Amino acid sequence: MKKLEFFEPAMCCDTGLCGPSIDPELLRVSTIVEEVSRSGNDVVRHNLKSDPDAFVANGTVAGILKETGVDSLPITLVDGKVVATGSYPSNERLSELLGIESSTAPEPAAKRSSCCCSPKASDGGSCCC
Amino acid sequence: MQPTMDAFDINALEPYKYLFFTGKGGVGKTSVSCAAAVMFADAGERVLIVSTDPASNMQDVFETEISEEGTRIEGCPNLTVMDVDPLKEAAAYRENVVGPYRGILPDDAIANIEEQLSGSCTIEIAAFDRFAWALTDADVAAKYDRIVFDTAPTGHTLRTLELPSAWTNYLDENSTGTSCLGQLSGLGDKRETYAKAVATLADVTQTGMVLVARPQTPTLEEAARSRAELSDLGIVCQMLVVNGMLEQATDEASGEMLDAQEKALEHMPEGLAGLRMYRNPLKSYNVTGLDFLRRFLKGGADRSMAATEVERPDLRSLDDLVDELARSGRRVIFTMGKGGVGKTSVAVDIAKGLARRGEKVRLTTTDPADHLGNFDLDMPGLSVSHIDEKHELEAYEAEVLDTARKTMGNEDFSYIQESLRSPCTQEIAVFRAFADIVAKADEEVVVIDTAPTGHTLLLLESTQNYDEQMENTGGEVPESVRELLPRLHDPAQTEVVIVTLPEATPVYEAQRLRDDLNRTGIDSRWWVVNQCLSLGDATDPMLRARAASERQWIDRIRTMSKGLIVGIPWNASGDVR
Repeated sequence: MKKLEFFEPAMCCDTGLCGPSIDPELLRVSTIVEEVSRSGNDVVRHNLKSDPDAFVANGTVAGILKETGVDSLPITLVDGKVVATGSYPSNERLSELLGIESSTAPEPAAKRSSCCCSPKASDGGSCCC
Repeated sequence: MQPTMDAFDINALEPYKYLFFTGKGGVGKTSVSCAAAVMFADAGERVLIVSTDPASNMQDVFETEISEEGTRIEGCPNLTVMDVDPLKEAAAYRENVVGPYRGILPDDAIANIEEQLSGSCTIEIAAFDRFAWALTDADVAAKYDRIVFDTAPTGHTLRTLELPSAWTNYLDENSTGTSCLGQLSGLGDKRETYAKAVATLADVTQTGMVLVARPQTPTLEEAARSRAELSDLGIVCQMLVVNGMLEQATDEASGEMLDAQEKALEHMPEGLAGLRMYRNPLKSYNVTGLDFLRRFLKGGADRSMAATEVERPDLRSLDDLVDELARSGRRVIFTMGKGGVGKTSVAVDIAKGLARRGEKVRLTTTDPADHLGNFDLDMPGLSVSHIDEKHELEAYEAEVLDTARKTMGNEDFSYIQESLRSPCTQEIAVFRAFADIVAKADEEVVVIDTAPTGHTLLLLESTQNYDEQMENTGGEVPESVRELLPRLHDPAQTEVVIVTLPEATPVYEAQRLRDDLNRTGIDSRWWVVNQCLSLGDATDPMLRARAASERQWIDRIRTMSKGLIVGIPWNASGDVR
């Protein structure tokens, strides 16, 4: 079992819908997350907005961020090793790294959150828009 | 035919421990809710009123310092007033999130987080946090007989908050943790509080939801929209209060106003059918201080305070503004303001003025096409484009869902659909359409009756930076959008004209719009104050009283705009569109 981690910039939502155009990259990543977790591997997405702790706690990520700033995001790690910065790796590259087959038609996945505005811990609410 | 309306009766609110007042900005929610709270307190009840309206200014209403924690009102000992500024709460929340990371994460990362927490939903949710507290806190319930709110949560906020409970199972069973679930999983104790708050909102035995409007079509339409949205979520609105009814006419202006009012009420939106309806007459005074609050809802026009002298303010004319625009050579002109302040009619007049001065002008409006019929737009040099917001949104939705289907296979799209219902998505859909039109400014002067918010612009900017850095010019962001930002940032090319009314709420709202835009480095210069009674010749005592009260708002704008302030006299068609 391998561990795949994404460290992503603060975004409205993980679909990119709240931007000026739909970002197919983010939709693709959502699909990857489903597939990889179904394949029995571990996968985590860290968003800078909701989970800044993760960016501090991970020494590698913190180092890159300090060096090159938010432009280095998204950062992709496999088992703690950096495999991509500034953009997401391709499906092929990921399949290779994780040793799984990339399927073309994923099964229906479980429900997911509405990305745009979600309440958050502590005493306020968090939202993107 | 006009619907039946009774004089407002405080007993109508009697059954409800929790009272919410909802309606478009400027209809008088604060006055109505505060007056009701005072009446209940005078009757011996222990009353709490919570204001979450950023424009409410409870200090002025009660003529005393009001704290966020609650202030007892001298002269009305049973009443406690709490003034919550959701902008401040949102800022505190934002600081709460990023504060611990200052100096630890790089500055641009901090800025990135802050921007994503600066939208209108953050403010709505910050306000909801206070609603939820007052609705669920056991101490509050025991200490007060009645709890009054001068605003109500919007449908979008409630939908967002309701959804988490449906995901409880998912949270428990899954570990994939997308970015949003990261937030939800941290929700913890809030989840239960919010769920309980939403349940109380929907409980008709405890909660009264009161729609407030003016006898003007836009505010009645807004009330109908709110009712439909809340009803979709199982929350019932019991009644409508039409505030500021003119009861008689004594001169030409008040005669026109009375006609306009009747017309608006005759064409009451169907969505308001079946509600109990109450009217509250226009008053000759500003609703500040306990004396006036006590009289405000007691019926009768109450002419006692009618002002005698109205000083005509010294304001520039729209022609001055058009001259200046023609001279400056700016080719993209936005009129910006909240709905109902007359952005479209100001845009029309600017466009016609420029065409008359020999410019080739394209007027672009987001107003529904059938309303443009009210304007005479047939003149040489002037052409008109129309952005249909509903159509743009549908097209954008279709595009999004199509892309999602292609990219994601047969996943459940419900979460995408909810995102599509957010205010920012709607704004972006429209924004894309007018980017296409602004692109024409090379050949024509473009006048547009709407402006993007700062939040949208910053979203565009960040996407653009990302695109550039990726050298990904493959068309994700349309070319017209790409060219838009540099143009908007150039004061030699772009003018943003702020349109408002000489009243408290519209001025506060306009100020917020301006600050939001300034945040993105776009300056506005000119202000247009529409519907000024003080520029007319009304002799009717009610209208003269209203005219006198405009003064403080006009002075305030004069200071903010450094004198670049245009006044447009009141006119009846402005009230019915």
